[in-house]
Amino acid sequence: MGYINTIIILGGINIIAALGVAILTGYTGLFTIGHAGFMALGGYMSAIMAKEFNVPFPIAILIGGTFAGLCSFIIGYPAFRSQLRGDYFAIATLGFSESIRLLLNNTKTIGSIKLGGAFGYMAIPNHTTVLVVVIAVILSLFFMHMFVTSQYGKNCIAVSQDEVAAQMMGVNLLKTKMIALFISAFYAGVAGGLMAFYFAYLSPSFFTITKSSDLLAAVVFGGIQSLIGPVITAFILVLFPELLRSFAEWRLIIYGFLFVIVMIFRPQGLLGYVEMNFEFARVWWNKMFRRKQSGTQEG
Amino acid sequence: MELFIQQLVSGISIGAIYSLLAVGYALVYSVYNFTNWAFDGFMAFGAFMAFTGITSLFMPFWLAALLSIVLTVILSVGTEKLAYNPLRVRKAPRLFMMISAMGVNLATVNIINLIYGGTFRKFPVDNLQPIFIKGVSIGRMDLMAGGISFGVLALLWIFLYRTKWGLGIRASSIDILTASLMGINNNAVAMIVFAITGVLSSVAGVFYGIKYAVFPMMGVVTIKAMIASIVGGLGSLPAAIVGSMILGILETLVSGYISSTYRDLFSFLFLIIILLFFPNGLMGKSSDEKL
Repeated sequence: MGYINTIIILGGINIIAALGVAILTGYTGLFTIGHAGFMALGGYMSAIMAKEFNVPFPIAILIGGTFAGLCSFIIGYPAFRSQLRGDYFAIATLGFSESIRLLLNNTKTIGSIKLGGAFGYMAIPNHTTVLVVVIAVILSLFFMHMFVTSQYGKNCIAVSQDEVAAQMMGVNLLKTKMIALFISAFYAGVAGGLMAFYFAYLSPSFFTITKSSDLLAAVVFGGIQSLIGPVITAFILVLFPELLRSFAEWRLIIYGFLFVIVMIFRPQGLLGYVEMNFEFARVWWNKMFRRKQSGTQEG
Repeated sequence: MELFIQQLVSGISIGAIYSLLAVGYALVYSVYNFTNWAFDGFMAFGAFMAFTGITSLFMPFWLAALLSIVLTVILSVGTEKLAYNPLRVRKAPRLFMMISAMGVNLATVNIINLIYGGTFRKFPVDNLQPIFIKGVSIGRMDLMAGGISFGVLALLWIFLYRTKWGLGIRASSIDILTASLMGINNNAVAMIVFAITGVLSSVAGVFYGIKYAVFPMMGVVTIKAMIASIVGGLGSLPAAIVGSMILGILETLVSGYISSTYRDLFSFLFLIIILLFFPNGLMGKSSDEKL
Protein backbone atom coordinates (compact mmCIF):
# COMPACT_ATOMS: atom_id res chain seq x y z
CA MET A 1 0.00 0.00 0.00
CA GLY A 2 2.83 2.34 0.86
CA TYR A 3 4.31 1.73 -2.57
CA ILE A 4 1.07 2.59 -4.35
CA ASN A 5 0.78 5.72 -2.21
CA THR A 6 4.26 6.76 -3.28
CA ILE A 7 3.35 6.39 -6.94
CA ILE A 8 0.11 8.33 -6.51
CA ILE A 9 1.89 11.14 -4.65
CA LEU A 10 4.81 11.42 -7.09
CA GLY A 11 2.43 11.11 -10.03
CA GLY A 12 0.20 13.85 -8.62
CA ILE A 13 3.16 16.16 -8.07
CA ASN A 14 4.32 15.52 -11.61
CA ILE A 15 0.80 16.24 -12.89
CA ILE A 16 0.72 19.65 -11.20
CA ALA A 17 4.14 20.61 -12.54
CA ALA A 18 3.23 19.34 -16.02
CA LEU A 19 0.07 21.45 -15.97
CA GLY A 20 2.34 24.43 -15.42
CA VAL A 21 4.37 23.52 -18.49
CA ALA A 22 1.16 22.80 -20.43
CA ILE A 23 -0.16 26.35 -20.01
CA LEU A 24 3.14 27.80 -21.18
CA THR A 25 4.31 25.42 -23.90
CA GLY A 26 1.02 23.84 -24.89
CA TYR A 27 -1.27 26.86 -24.83
CA THR A 28 0.94 29.94 -25.17
CA GLY A 29 3.53 28.35 -27.44
CA LEU A 30 6.52 29.35 -25.32
CA PHE A 31 9.09 26.59 -25.21
CA THR A 32 10.50 26.03 -21.72
CA ILE A 33 13.28 23.74 -20.59
CA GLY A 34 13.84 25.27 -17.19
CA HIS A 35 10.82 24.53 -15.07
CA ALA A 36 12.90 22.61 -12.54
CA GLY A 37 14.20 26.01 -11.43
CA PHE A 38 10.71 27.20 -10.52
CA MET A 39 10.06 23.92 -8.71
CA ALA A 40 13.23 24.47 -6.70
CA LEU A 41 12.24 28.04 -5.81
CA GLY A 42 8.76 27.02 -4.71
CA GLY A 43 10.02 23.98 -2.85
CA TYR A 44 12.70 25.77 -0.86
CA MET A 45 10.49 28.77 -0.15
CA SER A 46 7.57 26.75 1.18
CA ALA A 47 9.90 24.51 3.18
CA ILE A 48 11.57 27.54 4.77
CA MET A 49 8.18 29.08 5.54
CA ALA A 50 6.88 25.94 7.23
CA LYS A 51 10.04 24.96 9.05
CA GLU A 52 11.51 28.26 10.16
CA PHE A 53 8.43 30.46 10.47
CA ASN A 54 5.84 27.84 11.43
CA VAL A 55 3.49 28.90 8.66
CA PRO A 56 0.60 26.42 8.25
CA PHE A 57 1.30 23.93 5.51
CA PRO A 58 -1.27 24.93 2.83
CA ILE A 59 -0.35 28.60 3.18
CA ALA A 60 3.35 27.73 2.98
CA ILE A 61 2.71 25.96 -0.30
CA LEU A 62 0.80 28.93 -1.69
CA ILE A 63 3.60 31.27 -0.59
CA GLY A 64 6.11 29.00 -2.31
CA GLY A 65 4.10 29.02 -5.52
CA THR A 66 3.63 32.78 -5.45
CA PHE A 67 7.33 33.27 -4.81
CA ALA A 68 8.19 31.11 -7.83
CA GLY A 69 5.67 33.08 -9.89
CA LEU A 70 7.15 36.42 -8.86
CA CYS A 71 10.69 35.19 -9.57
CA SER A 72 9.58 34.21 -13.05
CA PHE A 73 9.22 37.92 -13.83
CA ILE A 74 13.00 38.23 -13.55
CA ILE A 75 13.29 36.40 -16.85
CA GLY A 76 9.79 37.07 -18.15
CA TYR A 77 9.89 40.84 -18.22
CA PRO A 78 13.22 41.37 -20.01
CA ALA A 79 12.64 38.48 -22.44
CA PHE A 80 9.08 39.38 -23.41
CA ARG A 81 9.56 43.13 -23.43
CA SER A 82 12.31 42.94 -26.01
CA GLN A 83 10.11 40.62 -28.07
CA LEU A 84 12.75 37.96 -28.09
CA ARG A 85 11.84 35.16 -30.37
CA GLY A 86 10.44 32.19 -28.50
CA ASP A 87 13.69 30.30 -28.80
CA TYR A 88 15.60 32.78 -26.75
CA PHE A 89 13.03 32.71 -24.02
CA ALA A 90 13.73 28.98 -23.75
CA ILE A 91 17.43 29.78 -23.30
CA ALA A 92 16.54 32.27 -20.60
CA THR A 93 14.53 29.60 -18.74
CA LEU A 94 17.39 27.11 -19.03
CA GLY A 95 19.91 29.69 -17.82
CA PHE A 96 17.60 30.69 -14.99
CA SER A 97 17.12 27.15 -13.77
CA GLU A 98 20.83 26.38 -13.93
CA SER A 99 21.58 29.60 -12.02
CA ILE A 100 19.08 28.71 -9.30
CA ARG A 101 20.67 25.30 -8.92
CA LEU A 102 24.12 26.85 -8.78
CA LEU A 103 23.01 29.33 -6.12
CA LEU A 104 21.37 26.63 -4.00
CA ASN A 105 24.43 24.42 -4.35
CA ASN A 106 26.62 27.17 -2.94
CA THR A 107 24.33 28.65 -0.29
CA LYS A 108 25.03 26.97 3.03
CA THR A 109 23.09 29.41 5.18
CA ILE A 110 20.83 32.41 4.83
CA GLY A 111 21.04 34.22 8.17
CA SER A 112 20.17 31.52 10.68
CA ILE A 113 18.52 29.22 8.14
CA LYS A 114 20.70 26.24 7.29
CA LEU A 115 20.02 25.46 3.63
CA GLY A 116 22.88 23.01 3.55
CA GLY A 117 24.14 23.82 0.06
CA ALA A 118 24.75 20.72 -2.03
CA PHE A 119 23.99 18.46 0.94
CA GLY A 120 20.37 19.51 0.90
CA TYR A 121 17.90 21.14 3.20
CA MET A 122 17.03 18.65 5.93
CA ALA A 123 14.23 17.99 8.38
CA ILE A 124 11.35 19.60 6.58
CA PRO A 125 8.03 18.69 8.24
CA ASN A 126 6.25 15.86 6.50
CA HIS A 127 2.75 16.90 5.41
CA THR A 128 2.11 15.57 1.92
CA THR A 129 -0.26 12.63 1.98
CA VAL A 130 -2.29 10.96 -0.75
CA LEU A 131 -5.36 12.95 0.25
CA VAL A 132 -3.49 16.25 0.09
CA VAL A 133 -2.06 15.43 -3.34
CA VAL A 134 -5.40 14.30 -4.74
CA ILE A 135 -7.10 17.47 -3.51
CA ALA A 136 -4.26 19.58 -4.90
CA VAL A 137 -4.47 17.89 -8.30
CA ILE A 138 -8.24 18.35 -8.49
CA LEU A 139 -7.99 22.01 -7.49
CA SER A 140 -5.14 22.64 -9.95
CA LEU A 141 -7.01 20.99 -12.76
CA PHE A 142 -10.18 22.90 -11.94
CA PHE A 143 -8.48 26.31 -11.82
CA MET A 144 -6.44 25.58 -14.93
CA HIS A 145 -9.56 24.55 -16.77
CA MET A 146 -11.24 27.79 -15.73
CA PHE A 147 -8.24 29.79 -16.88
CA VAL A 148 -7.92 28.05 -20.21
CA THR A 149 -11.57 28.51 -21.10
CA SER A 150 -11.58 32.15 -19.98
CA GLN A 151 -10.77 35.15 -22.15
CA TYR A 152 -7.17 35.06 -20.87
CA GLY A 153 -6.82 31.46 -21.97
CA LYS A 154 -8.14 32.34 -25.42
CA ASN A 155 -5.61 35.17 -25.59
CA CYS A 156 -2.87 32.66 -24.85
CA ILE A 157 -4.01 30.38 -27.66
CA ALA A 158 -4.16 33.36 -30.01
CA VAL A 159 -0.58 34.32 -29.10
CA SER A 160 0.63 30.78 -29.72
CA GLN A 161 -0.95 30.67 -33.16
CA ASP A 162 0.07 34.03 -34.58
CA GLU A 163 1.56 36.81 -32.50
CA VAL A 164 1.07 39.54 -35.07
CA ALA A 165 -2.53 38.60 -35.75
CA ALA A 166 -3.21 38.37 -32.01
CA GLN A 167 -1.73 41.81 -31.47
CA MET A 168 -3.88 43.24 -34.23
CA MET A 169 -6.97 41.82 -32.56
CA GLY A 170 -6.04 43.78 -29.45
CA VAL A 171 -4.29 41.11 -27.40
CA ASN A 172 -1.59 42.60 -25.21
CA LEU A 173 1.34 40.27 -25.90
CA LEU A 174 3.47 41.26 -22.91
CA LYS A 175 0.58 40.98 -20.45
CA THR A 176 -0.69 37.68 -21.83
CA LYS A 177 2.73 36.06 -21.81
CA MET A 178 3.50 37.35 -18.32
CA ILE A 179 0.21 35.98 -16.96
CA ALA A 180 0.86 32.61 -18.57
CA LEU A 181 4.39 32.55 -17.20
CA PHE A 182 3.26 33.55 -13.71
CA ILE A 183 0.64 30.80 -13.57
CA SER A 184 3.06 28.31 -15.02
CA ALA A 185 5.75 29.11 -12.47
CA PHE A 186 3.13 29.13 -9.70
CA TYR A 187 2.11 25.58 -10.56
CA ALA A 188 5.72 24.44 -10.72
CA GLY A 189 6.35 26.10 -7.35
CA VAL A 190 3.35 24.36 -5.78
CA ALA A 191 4.59 21.04 -7.14
CA GLY A 192 8.01 21.78 -5.66
CA GLY A 193 6.40 22.58 -2.31
CA LEU A 194 4.44 19.33 -2.26
CA MET A 195 7.65 17.52 -3.11
CA ALA A 196 9.47 19.18 -0.21
CA PHE A 197 6.78 18.17 2.27
CA TYR A 198 6.73 14.63 0.92
CA PHE A 199 10.46 13.85 0.94
CA ALA A 200 11.04 15.99 4.07
CA TYR A 201 14.31 16.83 2.41
CA LEU A 202 15.34 18.98 -0.55
CA SER A 203 18.53 18.87 -2.53
CA PRO A 204 19.56 20.98 -5.52
CA SER A 205 20.22 17.73 -7.36
CA PHE A 206 16.44 17.09 -7.57
CA PHE A 207 16.07 20.02 -9.89
CA THR A 208 18.36 19.27 -12.80
CA ILE A 209 17.73 19.67 -16.50
CA THR A 210 16.51 16.05 -16.47
CA LYS A 211 13.52 17.10 -14.36
CA SER A 212 12.73 19.86 -16.84
CA SER A 213 12.98 17.41 -19.74
CA ASP A 214 10.58 15.04 -17.95
CA LEU A 215 8.01 17.81 -17.61
CA LEU A 216 8.44 18.84 -21.24
CA ALA A 217 8.06 15.19 -22.26
CA ALA A 218 4.74 14.96 -20.44
CA VAL A 219 3.39 17.92 -22.40
CA VAL A 220 4.82 16.85 -25.76
CA PHE A 221 3.49 13.31 -25.49
CA GLY A 222 0.24 14.36 -23.86
CA GLY A 223 -0.59 16.91 -26.48
CA ILE A 224 -0.44 20.56 -27.36
CA GLN A 225 -3.43 22.61 -26.21
CA SER A 226 -4.82 19.94 -24.01
CA LEU A 227 -4.99 19.60 -20.24
CA ILE A 228 -6.15 16.04 -19.87
CA GLY A 229 -3.43 14.72 -22.21
CA PRO A 230 -0.46 16.00 -20.17
CA VAL A 231 -2.24 14.88 -16.98
CA ILE A 232 -2.46 11.32 -18.24
CA THR A 233 1.08 11.22 -19.64
CA ALA A 234 2.58 12.94 -16.57
CA PHE A 235 1.17 10.13 -14.45
CA ILE A 236 2.24 7.43 -16.90
CA LEU A 237 5.77 8.86 -17.05
CA VAL A 238 6.04 8.45 -13.28
CA LEU A 239 4.48 5.01 -13.32
CA PHE A 240 6.52 3.62 -16.19
CA PRO A 241 10.04 3.82 -14.72
CA GLU A 242 8.63 2.41 -11.48
CA LEU A 243 7.26 -0.63 -13.26
CA LEU A 244 10.37 -1.21 -15.36
CA ARG A 245 13.38 -0.57 -13.21
CA SER A 246 15.86 -1.67 -15.85
CA PHE A 247 14.26 0.87 -18.16
CA ALA A 248 15.60 3.69 -15.97
CA GLU A 249 18.83 4.46 -17.77
CA TRP A 250 17.23 4.08 -21.18
CA ARG A 251 14.37 6.37 -20.24
CA LEU A 252 15.80 9.64 -21.52
CA ILE A 253 17.13 8.02 -24.69
CA ILE A 254 13.67 6.66 -25.46
CA TYR A 255 12.11 10.04 -24.66
CA GLY A 256 14.51 11.65 -27.09
CA PHE A 257 13.61 9.35 -29.97
CA LEU A 258 9.92 9.59 -29.08
CA PHE A 259 10.10 13.42 -29.25
CA VAL A 260 11.25 13.16 -32.85
CA ILE A 261 8.82 10.39 -33.79
CA VAL A 262 5.85 12.13 -32.16
CA MET A 263 6.67 15.40 -33.90
CA ILE A 264 6.89 13.66 -37.28
CA PHE A 265 3.94 11.31 -37.08
CA ARG A 266 1.58 12.71 -34.48
CA PRO A 267 2.60 16.27 -33.63
CA GLN A 268 -0.61 16.93 -31.74
CA GLY A 269 0.46 14.32 -29.17
CA LEU A 270 -1.80 11.83 -27.49
CA LEU A 271 -4.75 14.13 -26.98
CA GLY A 272 -3.70 17.32 -28.72
CA TYR A 273 -6.33 20.03 -29.06
CA VAL A 274 -8.70 17.92 -26.96
CA GLU A 275 -10.23 20.09 -24.27
CA MET A 276 -11.00 18.53 -20.96
CA ASN A 277 -14.75 18.24 -20.65
CA PHE A 278 -17.40 15.72 -19.88
CA GLU A 279 -19.11 15.93 -23.25
CA PHE A 280 -18.01 12.38 -24.04
CA ALA A 281 -19.81 11.14 -20.95
CA ARG A 282 -23.06 12.79 -22.05
CA VAL A 283 -22.71 11.41 -25.59
CA TRP A 284 -21.99 7.98 -24.21
CA TRP A 285 -24.94 8.21 -21.82
CA ASN A 286 -27.20 9.18 -24.70
CA LYS A 287 -25.91 6.37 -26.86
CA MET A 288 -26.36 3.75 -24.21
CA PHE A 289 -29.64 4.66 -22.64
CA ARG A 290 -31.46 7.27 -24.68
CA ARG A 291 -30.83 6.17 -28.21
CA LYS A 292 -33.99 7.61 -29.66
CA GLN A 293 -33.67 11.17 -28.39
CA SER A 294 -29.96 11.50 -29.06
CA GLY A 295 -30.21 11.64 -32.85
CA THR A 296 -30.08 15.43 -33.10
CA GLN A 297 -27.16 15.86 -30.73
CA GLU A 298 -24.64 13.51 -32.24
CA GLY A 299 -24.13 15.14 -35.67
CA MET B 1 49.18 43.33 -14.93
CA GLU B 2 50.63 39.95 -15.93
CA LEU B 3 47.62 38.21 -14.42
CA PHE B 4 45.31 40.53 -16.32
CA ILE B 5 46.96 39.79 -19.67
CA GLN B 6 46.94 36.09 -18.93
CA GLN B 7 43.23 36.24 -18.17
CA LEU B 8 42.65 38.26 -21.31
CA VAL B 9 44.33 35.66 -23.53
CA SER B 10 42.43 32.86 -21.83
CA GLY B 11 39.22 34.86 -22.25
CA ILE B 12 39.85 35.36 -25.95
CA SER B 13 40.41 31.65 -26.47
CA ILE B 14 37.23 30.70 -24.63
CA GLY B 15 35.45 33.49 -26.50
CA ALA B 16 36.66 31.93 -29.75
CA ILE B 17 35.11 28.61 -28.77
CA TYR B 18 31.85 30.36 -27.88
CA SER B 19 31.87 32.14 -31.21
CA LEU B 20 32.14 28.83 -33.08
CA LEU B 21 29.04 27.65 -31.25
CA ALA B 22 27.20 30.95 -31.57
CA VAL B 23 27.88 31.05 -35.30
CA GLY B 24 26.58 27.50 -35.64
CA TYR B 25 23.33 28.49 -33.98
CA ALA B 26 23.03 31.74 -35.90
CA LEU B 27 23.56 29.98 -39.22
CA VAL B 28 20.78 27.43 -38.72
CA TYR B 29 18.58 30.07 -37.14
CA SER B 30 18.94 32.51 -39.99
CA VAL B 31 18.08 29.95 -42.67
CA TYR B 32 15.51 27.78 -40.92
CA ASN B 33 14.21 30.03 -38.16
CA PHE B 34 14.54 27.62 -35.27
CA THR B 35 17.12 26.97 -32.57
CA ASN B 36 19.00 23.78 -33.25
CA TRP B 37 18.90 22.39 -29.70
CA ALA B 38 20.60 19.23 -30.93
CA PHE B 39 23.77 21.30 -31.28
CA ASP B 40 25.01 20.71 -27.75
CA GLY B 41 24.59 16.98 -28.23
CA PHE B 42 26.67 17.24 -31.40
CA MET B 43 29.35 19.10 -29.50
CA ALA B 44 29.62 16.40 -26.85
CA PHE B 45 29.53 13.77 -29.60
CA GLY B 46 32.42 15.46 -31.43
CA ALA B 47 34.52 15.66 -28.28
CA PHE B 48 33.88 12.02 -27.41
CA MET B 49 34.70 10.80 -30.90
CA ALA B 50 38.06 12.58 -30.80
CA PHE B 51 38.60 11.23 -27.29
CA THR B 52 37.86 7.67 -28.44
CA GLY B 53 40.06 8.11 -31.48
CA ILE B 54 43.03 9.00 -29.30
CA THR B 55 42.51 6.63 -26.37
CA SER B 56 41.09 3.50 -28.06
CA LEU B 57 42.31 3.72 -31.64
CA PHE B 58 45.68 5.31 -30.75
CA MET B 59 45.37 7.97 -33.42
CA PRO B 60 47.47 11.11 -33.45
CA PHE B 61 45.58 14.23 -32.42
CA TRP B 62 45.03 15.65 -35.91
CA LEU B 63 43.66 12.36 -37.24
CA ALA B 64 41.32 11.96 -34.27
CA ALA B 65 40.10 15.52 -34.78
CA LEU B 66 39.48 14.78 -38.46
CA LEU B 67 37.58 11.59 -37.58
CA SER B 68 35.49 13.54 -35.08
CA ILE B 69 34.67 16.20 -37.70
CA VAL B 70 33.65 13.60 -40.28
CA LEU B 71 31.45 11.65 -37.86
CA THR B 72 29.83 14.78 -36.45
CA VAL B 73 29.05 16.02 -39.95
CA ILE B 74 27.42 12.66 -40.71
CA LEU B 75 25.39 12.88 -37.49
CA SER B 76 24.37 16.46 -38.18
CA VAL B 77 23.33 15.86 -41.78
CA GLY B 78 21.59 12.64 -40.78
CA THR B 79 19.62 14.49 -38.12
CA GLU B 80 18.59 17.01 -40.74
CA LYS B 81 17.38 14.29 -43.08
CA LEU B 82 15.57 12.19 -40.49
CA ALA B 83 14.32 14.64 -37.88
CA TYR B 84 14.01 18.10 -39.45
CA ASN B 85 13.36 17.53 -43.14
CA PRO B 86 10.00 15.73 -42.69
CA LEU B 87 8.79 18.59 -40.49
CA ARG B 88 10.03 21.27 -42.84
CA VAL B 89 8.41 19.65 -45.85
CA ARG B 90 5.13 19.71 -43.95
CA LYS B 91 5.69 23.36 -42.95
CA ALA B 92 5.27 22.44 -39.29
CA PRO B 93 5.29 25.23 -36.68
CA ARG B 94 8.64 26.23 -35.22
CA LEU B 95 7.71 24.83 -31.83
CA PHE B 96 7.64 21.34 -33.36
CA MET B 97 11.09 21.80 -34.88
CA MET B 98 12.44 22.84 -31.49
CA ILE B 99 10.85 19.87 -29.74
CA SER B 100 12.27 17.54 -32.37
CA ALA B 101 15.72 19.08 -31.94
CA MET B 102 15.39 18.76 -28.16
CA GLY B 103 14.61 15.08 -28.69
CA VAL B 104 17.76 14.56 -30.76
CA ASN B 105 19.73 16.31 -28.06
CA LEU B 106 18.26 14.18 -25.26
CA ALA B 107 18.92 10.98 -27.18
CA THR B 108 22.51 11.90 -28.17
CA VAL B 109 23.58 13.08 -24.74
CA ASN B 110 22.06 10.11 -22.95
CA ILE B 111 23.45 7.54 -25.36
CA ILE B 112 26.90 9.01 -24.74
CA ASN B 113 26.15 8.90 -21.02
CA LEU B 114 25.13 5.24 -21.26
CA ILE B 115 28.22 4.22 -23.20
CA TYR B 116 30.91 6.28 -21.52
CA GLY B 117 29.40 7.03 -18.12
CA GLY B 118 28.95 10.47 -16.66
CA THR B 119 32.46 10.94 -15.34
CA PHE B 120 34.71 13.86 -16.22
CA ARG B 121 37.67 12.81 -18.37
CA LYS B 122 40.81 14.67 -19.14
CA PHE B 123 41.33 15.08 -22.87
CA PRO B 124 44.46 13.04 -23.66
CA VAL B 125 46.80 15.64 -25.12
CA ASP B 126 50.35 16.21 -24.02
CA ASN B 127 50.70 18.74 -21.30
CA LEU B 128 52.34 21.44 -23.33
CA GLN B 129 54.52 23.94 -21.58
CA PRO B 130 53.10 27.44 -21.68
CA ILE B 131 54.97 30.11 -23.61
CA PHE B 132 56.47 32.93 -21.56
CA ILE B 133 56.47 36.40 -23.04
CA LYS B 134 57.87 39.01 -20.66
CA GLY B 135 56.73 37.02 -17.65
CA VAL B 136 53.25 36.42 -18.99
CA SER B 137 52.54 32.72 -19.40
CA ILE B 138 50.27 31.87 -22.28
CA GLY B 139 48.93 28.35 -22.71
CA ARG B 140 49.78 26.82 -26.06
CA MET B 141 46.33 25.23 -26.15
CA ASP B 142 44.74 28.64 -25.65
CA LEU B 143 46.70 29.92 -28.62
CA MET B 144 45.83 26.89 -30.70
CA ALA B 145 42.15 26.98 -29.79
CA GLY B 146 41.98 30.68 -30.54
CA GLY B 147 43.98 30.42 -33.74
CA ILE B 148 42.14 27.45 -35.23
CA SER B 149 38.73 28.79 -34.21
CA PHE B 150 39.44 32.07 -35.96
CA GLY B 151 40.78 30.15 -38.93
CA VAL B 152 37.55 28.17 -39.19
CA LEU B 153 35.50 31.34 -38.86
CA ALA B 154 37.54 33.05 -41.57
CA LEU B 155 37.04 30.08 -43.90
CA LEU B 156 33.33 30.21 -43.17
CA TRP B 157 33.26 33.91 -43.97
CA ILE B 158 35.03 33.31 -47.29
CA PHE B 159 32.62 30.49 -48.06
CA LEU B 160 29.52 32.53 -47.27
CA TYR B 161 30.52 35.81 -48.88
CA ARG B 162 32.90 34.86 -51.70
CA THR B 163 31.45 31.73 -53.27
CA LYS B 164 28.36 30.92 -55.25
CA TRP B 165 27.25 28.31 -52.70
CA GLY B 166 27.53 30.92 -49.96
CA LEU B 167 25.41 33.27 -52.00
CA GLY B 168 22.80 30.52 -52.22
CA ILE B 169 22.76 30.12 -48.46
CA ARG B 170 22.50 33.86 -47.90
CA ALA B 171 19.67 34.05 -50.39
CA SER B 172 17.88 31.20 -48.60
CA SER B 173 18.26 33.00 -45.30
CA ILE B 174 16.35 35.95 -46.69
CA ASP B 175 13.54 33.99 -48.24
CA ILE B 176 13.82 30.28 -48.70
CA LEU B 177 10.84 29.98 -51.03
CA THR B 178 11.94 32.72 -53.42
CA ALA B 179 15.46 31.35 -53.37
CA SER B 180 14.23 27.95 -54.45
CA LEU B 181 12.21 29.58 -57.24
CA MET B 182 15.44 31.21 -58.43
CA GLY B 183 16.96 27.76 -58.89
CA ILE B 184 18.69 27.23 -55.57
CA ASN B 185 18.48 23.61 -54.48
CA ASN B 186 16.86 23.68 -51.05
CA ASN B 187 18.04 20.23 -50.10
CA ALA B 188 21.62 21.04 -51.04
CA VAL B 189 21.47 24.22 -48.95
CA ALA B 190 20.18 22.19 -45.99
CA MET B 191 22.97 19.66 -46.41
CA ILE B 192 25.64 22.35 -46.52
CA VAL B 193 24.24 24.33 -43.60
CA PHE B 194 24.06 21.27 -41.37
CA ALA B 195 27.46 20.03 -42.52
CA ILE B 196 28.96 23.39 -41.52
CA THR B 197 27.11 23.10 -38.21
CA GLY B 198 28.66 19.68 -37.69
CA VAL B 199 32.18 20.99 -38.35
CA LEU B 200 31.68 23.95 -36.00
CA SER B 201 30.28 21.83 -33.17
CA SER B 202 32.99 19.21 -33.50
CA VAL B 203 35.84 21.75 -33.45
CA ALA B 204 34.26 23.56 -30.51
CA GLY B 205 33.70 20.29 -28.68
CA VAL B 206 37.32 19.18 -29.09
CA PHE B 207 38.75 22.49 -27.92
CA TYR B 208 36.34 22.81 -25.04
CA GLY B 209 37.26 19.26 -24.06
CA ILE B 210 40.94 20.17 -24.11
CA LYS B 211 40.42 23.33 -22.11
CA TYR B 212 38.20 21.81 -19.42
CA ALA B 213 37.18 18.16 -19.58
CA VAL B 214 35.21 15.69 -21.68
CA PHE B 215 31.85 14.69 -20.16
CA PRO B 216 28.39 13.95 -21.59
CA MET B 217 26.78 17.11 -20.26
CA MET B 218 29.50 19.37 -21.66
CA GLY B 219 27.04 20.68 -24.23
CA VAL B 220 25.33 22.73 -21.53
CA VAL B 221 28.01 25.32 -22.28
CA THR B 222 26.12 26.11 -25.47
CA ILE B 223 23.78 28.21 -23.29
CA LYS B 224 26.72 30.61 -23.14
CA ALA B 225 26.92 30.70 -26.90
CA MET B 226 23.24 31.54 -27.08
CA ILE B 227 23.62 34.20 -24.40
CA ALA B 228 26.52 35.57 -26.41
CA SER B 229 24.48 35.75 -29.58
CA ILE B 230 21.70 37.61 -27.73
CA VAL B 231 24.26 39.97 -26.19
CA GLY B 232 25.78 40.66 -29.58
CA GLY B 233 22.52 41.02 -31.43
CA LEU B 234 20.23 38.39 -32.82
CA GLY B 235 20.67 36.50 -36.05
CA SER B 236 23.80 38.17 -37.35
CA LEU B 237 27.10 36.31 -37.59
CA PRO B 238 29.52 39.20 -36.81
CA ALA B 239 27.41 40.24 -33.83
CA ALA B 240 27.48 36.67 -32.55
CA ILE B 241 31.27 36.71 -32.67
CA VAL B 242 31.52 40.09 -30.92
CA GLY B 243 29.08 38.93 -28.22
CA SER B 244 31.04 35.73 -27.69
CA MET B 245 34.29 37.63 -27.27
CA ILE B 246 32.78 40.04 -24.76
CA LEU B 247 31.21 37.22 -22.79
CA GLY B 248 34.33 35.04 -22.89
CA ILE B 249 36.61 37.82 -21.65
CA LEU B 250 34.23 39.10 -18.96
CA GLU B 251 33.65 35.57 -17.73
CA THR B 252 37.33 34.79 -17.42
CA LEU B 253 37.93 38.05 -15.60
CA VAL B 254 35.11 37.27 -13.18
CA SER B 255 36.42 33.80 -12.47
CA GLY B 256 39.95 35.13 -12.12
CA TYR B 257 39.28 38.07 -9.84
CA ILE B 258 36.02 37.26 -8.06
CA SER B 259 35.09 33.60 -7.92
CA SER B 260 34.91 30.80 -10.45
CA THR B 261 31.86 29.33 -8.70
CA TYR B 262 29.68 32.21 -9.74
CA ARG B 263 30.97 32.46 -13.29
CA ASP B 264 27.86 30.92 -14.84
CA LEU B 265 25.60 32.98 -12.64
CA PHE B 266 27.40 36.08 -13.81
CA SER B 267 26.83 35.22 -17.48
CA PHE B 268 23.14 34.89 -16.83
CA LEU B 269 22.92 38.16 -14.89
CA PHE B 270 24.82 39.79 -17.72
CA LEU B 271 22.19 38.53 -20.17
CA ILE B 272 19.37 40.00 -18.08
CA ILE B 273 21.14 43.36 -17.74
CA ILE B 274 21.80 43.49 -21.48
CA LEU B 275 18.18 42.64 -22.21
CA LEU B 276 16.96 45.36 -19.87
CA PHE B 277 19.13 48.12 -21.31
CA PHE B 278 19.80 46.97 -24.89
CA PRO B 279 16.74 44.95 -25.89
CA ASN B 280 18.20 44.33 -29.35
CA GLY B 281 21.65 43.39 -28.13
CA LEU B 282 24.77 45.54 -28.25
CA MET B 283 24.97 45.67 -32.03
CA GLY B 284 21.23 45.61 -32.31
CA LYS B 285 19.89 45.78 -35.81
CA SER B 286 16.25 45.64 -36.66
CA SER B 287 15.09 42.12 -36.07
CA ASP B 288 14.20 41.60 -39.74
CA GLU B 289 17.80 41.71 -40.87
CA LYS B 290 19.61 38.43 -40.91
CA LEU B 291 23.03 36.88 -41.38
